[in-house]
Amino acid sequence: MPLLKVTGLSKVFQLGRNKTVTALNNVNFEVEDGEIFGILGPNGSGKTTCLKLLLGILFPTEGSISIMGKNQFDVEAKSRIGFLPENPYYYEYLCGTEVLNFYGRLFGMPKGLIKERTEYLLKLVNLQDAGKLALRHYSKGMLERIGLASSLINDPKILILDEPTTGLDPIGCKETRDLLVRLKEMGKTILLSSHFLSEVERVCSRIAIFHRGNLLTTGSLSSLLNQYGADNLEDLFVKSIEKYDVELESGKPVAATD
Amino acid sequence: MGKMWVIATNTFREALRKKTLYILLVVALVAIGTSRFFSFLAAQDELKMIKDVSFATIEFFGAILAIFTAMGGVSGEIEKKTIYTLLAKPITRKNFIIGKFLGQSMVILLNAILISLFFIGLLISKKAVPDMEIYKSLLLIYIELLMIGAISLAVATFATDAFNIILSFFLFITGNLSVYFKQVIERTENIIFKGLGYMLYNIIPNYENFNIRDQVVVGVNVSWQYVGQTILYGVMYIVIAVLVGIYFFQKREV
Repeated sequence: MPLLKVTGLSKVFQLGRNKTVTALNNVNFEVEDGEIFGILGPNGSGKTTCLKLLLGILFPTEGSISIMGKNQFDVEAKSRIGFLPENPYYYEYLCGTEVLNFYGRLFGMPKGLIKERTEYLLKLVNLQDAGKLALRHYSKGMLERIGLASSLINDPKILILDEPTTGLDPIGCKETRDLLVRLKEMGKTILLSSHFLSEVERVCSRIAIFHRGNLLTTGSLSSLLNQYGADNLEDLFVKSIEKYDVELESGKPVAATD
Repeated sequence: MGKMWVIATNTFREALRKKTLYILLVVALVAIGTSRFFSFLAAQDELKMIKDVSFATIEFFGAILAIFTAMGGVSGEIEKKTIYTLLAKPITRKNFIIGKFLGQSMVILLNAILISLFFIGLLISKKAVPDMEIYKSLLLIYIELLMIGAISLAVATFATDAFNIILSFFLFITGNLSVYFKQVIERTENIIFKGLGYMLYNIIPNYENFNIRDQVVVGVNVSWQYVGQTILYGVMYIVIAVLVGIYFFQKREV
C-alpha cells in the first residue's frame, strides 16, 4: 500500500462572482514508503497548491488524499508529517530553541524528548550557536535551516519540503541535499517540491512534472528520459512542457503516465 | 486542552514581546495618573474623579487591546503565513480558535490587572480603602473585554481587518449606548424601523450592562445577583462568538 495516495485531486479557486481559476486538475499519483518523490514545475504550475491540499491547509474541490490510510485532516496522520513551507515564516519574536519547543509541544511530545530533539536538530542544521538568538536576527539561510529543523522535530515518517534550498548558498544547498539522502537512509519518505532540477536529479527516486495545474508525467527519472527521448532532467522538463503546450493548442487531451 | 494551551501561551508570549501592550499600558497609566492632579477639587470629588477615569480607561484601552490582539491572532497568522506551519501540525481548527481566545484572554487579563493595581494603589495613596464594589466593577469590565475580544476574533475568521475594526468599535460604542438606543426605538412610530430596531437592540451586545461605575463612584451597592446574571450574559455571548469563529474558520482557506 502506498504511503500517500492522491486520487482525482482538483482545486478550483473562485475569484469573484463569475471567475474561477483551476489551480489543480484531476491529479493522481502515489508515493511509496522510503522514497524521495520530486515535484517539479514552473511557477504557478500547482505544486504549492498540491502540497497545501496534502496538508489540509486548502480544501479540494474534487478528489481524495490518503496519508497512511487516513485522510489529510486526520490528526493522527498529521502527527507523522513534517512540513517545511516555501520561504518559511516563523514567529520572529521566538528564538531558535523556542520555535522547536513550540512545534514539539504542538505534536504533544514530552518535554525531555523535545529538549533532546532540539539539541540534536540544532546541531544537524548547524545552528547550535544560534539557538538562543531571536529569529528576527536570522539570515534567510538560517531561517531555512531552522525551518528544516522544525519540520523534523516530531521525527516524521513523511517529510514535505517546499523549495527547501531557496535562499541557501551553494554550501548550504549541498548540506541540505546530503541531509535529504541521510533522511532517506533513515527510512523517511520525502516529498520534495523544487525549482532546482539538479537537486531533484541527484536525490529523487521518482518525479512528477506539473504544468498549468496538470500532472504531465510521473515516474522514475530513467523511465521518463527514455519515454521522452531526453538527455537529462532539464531536457525532459522542457520537452514535457512543450509537448503539453503543443497538444493543448491542437486540442488533444493530455494524460499523465505512471 | 494541551494543544489549545500551547496556542494560548504562544499568543500570550507574542503579546508580551510586542510593543502594543506596553504602549497601551503606558498611555492608560498616564491617563489615570493625570486624574490625581485635580487637587483643586475637594477630597471626595478627587476620589470620584480617580474612580471614574480609571474605570473608563481600563475599559477603553482594554477594548483597543482586545480588538487588536484578536485580529492579529487570526489575520496576523495568515498575513505572516505562520498559519501554514500551524495547520500542518496535528491540531484542529477548533483547537486553534479556542487556543487563540484563551491566549488573548490572558493578555487582556494581564493588562487589566496591571492598570487595576495602579488604580488601587492610587486610591490607597489617597487614604481611600478600595471596597468590594470596585472589584465587582473591575470584574464586569473584564468580562466585557472578553466579549469584545471574542466578537473581534469571530469577525477576523471571515472578514478583513478594516471591516473588523469598524464593526468592533461600532459595537463597542452602540453597545455602551444601548439605553439611548432603546429610547430612540421606543419613540419611533414606523413599525418596520421599530421592529428592525428591536432586532438590532437584541443582537448588539449590551455593554451598558457591564457599566456599574456610576453606582460605584457614588457609593451605591450593586447586588451579587446582578453581577452573576451579567457575567452569565457575557459568557453566553462569548460562547456564541467563539462558536461562530470556529464555524467560519473551519471553512476558511488560507
